[in-house]
Amino acid sequence: MLATAESLGSLAAREQRGGRLSTAAILVGPATIFVTIGLLLPILLLFRYSLNAFVPGKLMVEALTAENYVLFVTDPYYLAAFTRTLRVAVIVTALCVVLAFPLAYKLARTQSRFKNLLVMLVVLPLFVGNAVRAAGWMTLLGNRGFLNVTLQWIGLTTEPIRFMYTELAVIVGILAVNLPYVVLTLQSVIEGIDRAVEDAAFSLGAGPFTMVRRVLLPLALPGFAAGAIFCFILTMNAYATPVLLGGPQFMMMGPLVYVQFAAKSNWPFGAAVSFILMTATLILTAAANLMVQRRYRT
Amino acid sequence: MTERTNPYISRRRVLAGAAAVAGVGALSALPALGQANKKIVLSTWGGDYAKLLTKHISVPVLGPRGWEVVNDEAQVTQRKAKTVAEKRLPKGTSDIQALTATDIAELTEVDVLEKLDHAKLKNAKNLMKIFSIADSPYFSPHIFSGKVVLYNPKLIPNAPKGIDALWDSKNQGKVGIVDIQHVYTTMAAALVAGGKTGDFDKAKKALLDLKKLKPRIYPSNEALAQALQTEEVGLCIMWKARAVQWQNAGANILTVAPKEGIITYVSGFGVPKNAPNREGSYAFLDAAMEASAQEGFAVDMGYNPVVANAKVAPDLKKRIGFGPEEEKLFVNPDLAFLAKHMGELKDFWDKEFKA
Repeated sequence: MLATAESLGSLAAREQRGGRLSTAAILVGPATIFVTIGLLLPILLLFRYSLNAFVPGKLMVEALTAENYVLFVTDPYYLAAFTRTLRVAVIVTALCVVLAFPLAYKLARTQSRFKNLLVMLVVLPLFVGNAVRAAGWMTLLGNRGFLNVTLQWIGLTTEPIRFMYTELAVIVGILAVNLPYVVLTLQSVIEGIDRAVEDAAFSLGAGPFTMVRRVLLPLALPGFAAGAIFCFILTMNAYATPVLLGGPQFMMMGPLVYVQFAAKSNWPFGAAVSFILMTATLILTAAANLMVQRRYRT
Repeated sequence: MTERTNPYISRRRVLAGAAAVAGVGALSALPALGQANKKIVLSTWGGDYAKLLTKHISVPVLGPRGWEVVNDEAQVTQRKAKTVAEKRLPKGTSDIQALTATDIAELTEVDVLEKLDHAKLKNAKNLMKIFSIADSPYFSPHIFSGKVVLYNPKLIPNAPKGIDALWDSKNQGKVGIVDIQHVYTTMAAALVAGGKTGDFDKAKKALLDLKKLKPRIYPSNEALAQALQTEEVGLCIMWKARAVQWQNAGANILTVAPKEGIITYVSGFGVPKNAPNREGSYAFLDAAMEASAQEGFAVDMGYNPVVANAKVAPDLKKRIGFGPEEEKLFVNPDLAFLAKHMGELKDFWDKEFKA
């Protein structure tokens, strides 16, 4: 009798476990299938393409060769595009974090009844697409643009300064795109930090700068990391802004991928460049994340 | 035995319902099967060109004949890549591809274009045989212009005589180059160096000499137009048709037929081998050669007709066309060379000239 009750109990437990598993499968399944079909399979296909050979006239020829990767690392033109992309990504990320912090802090701590409106104002630039925004920058930075006309009008310059088609224009353009993302990420993290810890620091004699450095920054470090990683990934893969504001002589990795696929029909090399860009972004992001996690633990 | 919670919904009823819906759907599709496909998918550049194709061909010529033309607008590089990617498919997604002569050469090389039967085009008999590309069995020409020297007399007081003015150190800082025109600029450089359009080695040397003078490179024709308007630059090479458009827009520019030769620019159409509606493709090609359509493009866009029966007003012809002496200067691109070396040319342009 007792044995029967025990076996019924274990059966019920197994059924319960089975039920939980099927519920989990239902919840996880669709997203997993979507990611597998929409992301992993194309990545695998891309990797396979990158090992093919390119023959003008025949385009992609089935092969198993590393020559596309070798070409990338041995050609100074492609390496320059990579280092330029990395440089722009690091500069934009650093500027974004520095500029976003005060704004995010103010937004997080404000008691104003207009807080939602302020948040909307931060988000507002995201309502406009990258290309349209870049077109706005073009009218601002052009030789007869607002900036040059203003500089000449107030007598600071006599000739127009070339802002368009420079690295500076690209950095400013991408900064404007990425800043709202970093502000919102930091704001949500700072909001999660109890204000009492700031008051405690002040009550122990810390000045505002010391409080930020010794209390707020360490606590908000995961937010900084998330915002910076987000910004870094977006910049590494930027396309519209470098093309429109950088001009024909400023090549970053995103446009380079496009040129290989669309202008040269060199799919194997385009796939290799895509893979290098993706891998480099992943490795650098993972390394930065690891560093921040270690720092956060200590 | 468990009771049904809803006695009206059963698996059988759901299946029967689904079958009925599918059946009704299939029946409603039957009349469509009996009708000929009257839709033409036209893959073309966007902007003014697409609008004018609709204005002068799709609506007034093909509309009354019962055809509906759907535009698929994108840059030519994207469209070429898409056509190549669709090569293995039994049916592609476009019936017509708007292409330039150099694009045709490139796509012919990768074997994605249909060999056209010009006997099916009643207007083909009017085609003028002034370009070698007109003989290509893969190409149906539409409009043409030529590469001329364009200058602002305020910035360049002495009228240039040829393309070599771009290499003159006196004009340093005033020269503009368009990035997307790298193929034609390379051919022009070959002419300046005393070669033919396919003399790539001579072109390379000439371009590296030009690079030393630091010409300004613009991403598009429109960006160059803006630079001319603001007098950021005052000397370039450009299609005569574009020059006329910019003159109409108020730019202070004049054109010169270069002594080295006028490289012809022919824009037209090709048909992908796997075009879903071949009959529609031919209908479009023929409509594009109608005299009225050709005249419309001359008036609205400044490009010359390719058919002899199109009538262009004398004053307009003087502005957009080429006289008998100028026609002697016509130089056709070396399409066979371009088809094989397009990638090499682009590599040189990106890595050495622009870098």
